[in-house]
Amino acid sequence: MAGSMHLSRLRKWFLASPPIEFAITNLKELLVGALRQGPIPQHVAFVMDGNRRFARSHGIETVEGHNLGFEALARILEVCYKSGVKVVTIYAFSIENFKRSKFEVDALMDMAKVKLSQMAQHGDLLDRYGAKVRVLGRLDLLKPDVLAAVNKAVDLTSRNGDRVLNICFPYTSRDEITSAIRETVDDYSQPLKPANGSRTPFSESHITYNIRAQNLGSKPNDTHSDSGSTSADSSAPEDDSSALRPDHSHRVYESGSSFSSSTTLHLGQQDGHNQKGATQGNISGSEKPVFSSPETISRQTLSDHMLTKGTPPLDMLIRTSGVERLSDFMLWQCHENTEIVFLDVLWPEFDLWHFLPVMLGWQRRISKSRQNPEAEGNFAGDSPESSEEDLDAMVLRQGKVKGI
Amino acid sequence: MVSPKEREVLRAEVRARNNKLSAADREALLKPYLPDPADLTTSRHARGTRKPRKTPIRTFIKSQIHHLTYALTHIIFGIVVRLIQTYHAVVDRVLAIVYHHHRTPELIRKDVRGLKRLPQHLSVILTLRTEDDALAVLMDEVAELAAWCTCAGIGQLSVYEKTGVLKSCIPALHQIITTKLASYYGTPSQQPSLQLYAPHHPIHGTRSNSDNPSLTLLLLSSTDGRETIVDLTKTLAEMSQSGKLSPEDITPELVDAEITEITTHPLQDGDASSGDLLKPEPDLLLVFGPFLKLDGYPPWQIRLTEMYCTGDRSHGLTGYGEAVEYQGFMRGLWHYAGAQMRFGR
Repeated sequence: MAGSMHLSRLRKWFLASPPIEFAITNLKELLVGALRQGPIPQHVAFVMDGNRRFARSHGIETVEGHNLGFEALARILEVCYKSGVKVVTIYAFSIENFKRSKFEVDALMDMAKVKLSQMAQHGDLLDRYGAKVRVLGRLDLLKPDVLAAVNKAVDLTSRNGDRVLNICFPYTSRDEITSAIRETVDDYSQPLKPANGSRTPFSESHITYNIRAQNLGSKPNDTHSDSGSTSADSSAPEDDSSALRPDHSHRVYESGSSFSSSTTLHLGQQDGHNQKGATQGNISGSEKPVFSSPETISRQTLSDHMLTKGTPPLDMLIRTSGVERLSDFMLWQCHENTEIVFLDVLWPEFDLWHFLPVMLGWQRRISKSRQNPEAEGNFAGDSPESSEEDLDAMVLRQGKVKGI
Repeated sequence: MVSPKEREVLRAEVRARNNKLSAADREALLKPYLPDPADLTTSRHARGTRKPRKTPIRTFIKSQIHHLTYALTHIIFGIVVRLIQTYHAVVDRVLAIVYHHHRTPELIRKDVRGLKRLPQHLSVILTLRTEDDALAVLMDEVAELAAWCTCAGIGQLSVYEKTGVLKSCIPALHQIITTKLASYYGTPSQQPSLQLYAPHHPIHGTRSNSDNPSLTLLLLSSTDGRETIVDLTKTLAEMSQSGKLSPEDITPELVDAEITEITTHPLQDGDASSGDLLKPEPDLLLVFGPFLKLDGYPPWQIRLTEMYCTGDRSHGLTGYGEAVEYQGFMRGLWHYAGAQMRFGR
């Protein structure tokens, strides 16, 4: 035990001696410079796990452990931004963490406040060299003084360059997804402006009017109701069907009027009734709120409502301290092409030396998949057509398997 | 970069001053590490007027050195990776010999006996290969996994395969799994009961008897991920538009309940009694592949799931996606239990 103590002290002394230190610093610079030459992930996320365990194992205060964790963060941010990573997202505080001891929560909040206000004090320095700071999460759960510090830091750095630091402050991914759903629903339940006629190029009432005119022009008889409806059908898709489909569906969701489908179907049966229906429809169409169709909601719509909107897709997620769970972090963002890495190192010890192999492995895989898109783990060359074809071929082959 | 010594000095100083550094002090401390502002402004503003670079030769040499280092590190890294791969491949082969199931449930039961905990619900990510018989291979893998799970005492298994081919051939798959189970268990009377289903598909299989172990197998594909959440949003938006729901009512609990309902056991013939509801969140996610990539796995459910990747063993001979082998499955279970794999049973 004593021997190892001496050894470690000797090692420390050796590493701290000026020439070695100089060499190490230069080596780091060199390696970061070298990393720049290859492909670099655009968006990296970190779960900074292990501060408490580090403090416990080294016999220091938990708060001190968090402080060391902050230093490690600064170290790794420098590496990231120097090597060309555009966006770094860190998991600073989970909504679940509010359940921890009050002392620790307060200390963490304090630390966040202090660091953020320090950033704010150096506003001009950050402007010149720093990255944009954005805080993602439930800001309404914060105390007012912390919130003020957050807002100040975000405001001050909002005009900075293209580098972004996302701090997930009181954040859980499920909360984020739920908020995204809620906001989307909220957006879609806002009635559209009456001037939406410009968006949908054909007015429905006008079409019905025309059809009616046609029917009247020909024979206003029941025998021709069929041809009337077919002409209604044909006149609609002969225009732009893609433009008309959302129009039709949102009419259906208008639901109150319900006239559109019924009148076009029973067109030309009774002129008087038809006219009445049409005028009714016109009135209700102008009075009822018109919504955009929920069918236009897509994955992209939801992605645009996530807190990480506007950032490149997450390329890499790193979690330290050997815990192999996501713990409610970036679920939506990381479940597609993100490489997830679990490292068995506590966060305060995390350094370039742990980060480098991960980056090299990523670069290796990317350059391999670029050379040969069919090979293992292709990120970029995943064309949808080919997979569709594969699927078709599989379905065809299925019969063979069933035969077995 | 900040050297450790300087960091120590800074920390000592901070402590000495009782954590109170003035803004000016900090700026002074920071100055040496920042690029010279004069440099930046000249290069930014006076680009056209002056020479673009003051030291073209030095920058050229520097970039060449960086290129060289990049190449060198990647060569070295590649060699190291290959060596590690080889080592793991050898270990893997040894384990494959030592731990072989021989299609005997007793042996598998013995292998998991020492484990402190077993996942209640295991989830697996499989990949469809590109060969001709890919679907047959995939179904065989699912059948093997199902057999190992029942033997090990894991009652719930979900299989994720991106394209969703498995969902379109549930009856055939059920047949294959039953055959596989028969080859493990022998007589049909001892065979575990199997329930196979996919979201929005009816259950295929019999209800569990009390004495035999049962397996609930869920098939997932990429449409059960984001697409499901999008569908939920559409429905909610519709409801909100017709005034049946206000956006404030959407809580994580509501979303959770809705999403969970799709993947958990659909009730069979109105029978609400069954206790074998599928646990919505898997405990362990096994990825048979060279590295951990979720590839579209449903995001909502994996909040607290432990993940394990079998790793890159086969030198990419089989393309993306590793062969599903018993020792890989075992390693995952051992890892989950926090135990080390030993040589020898």
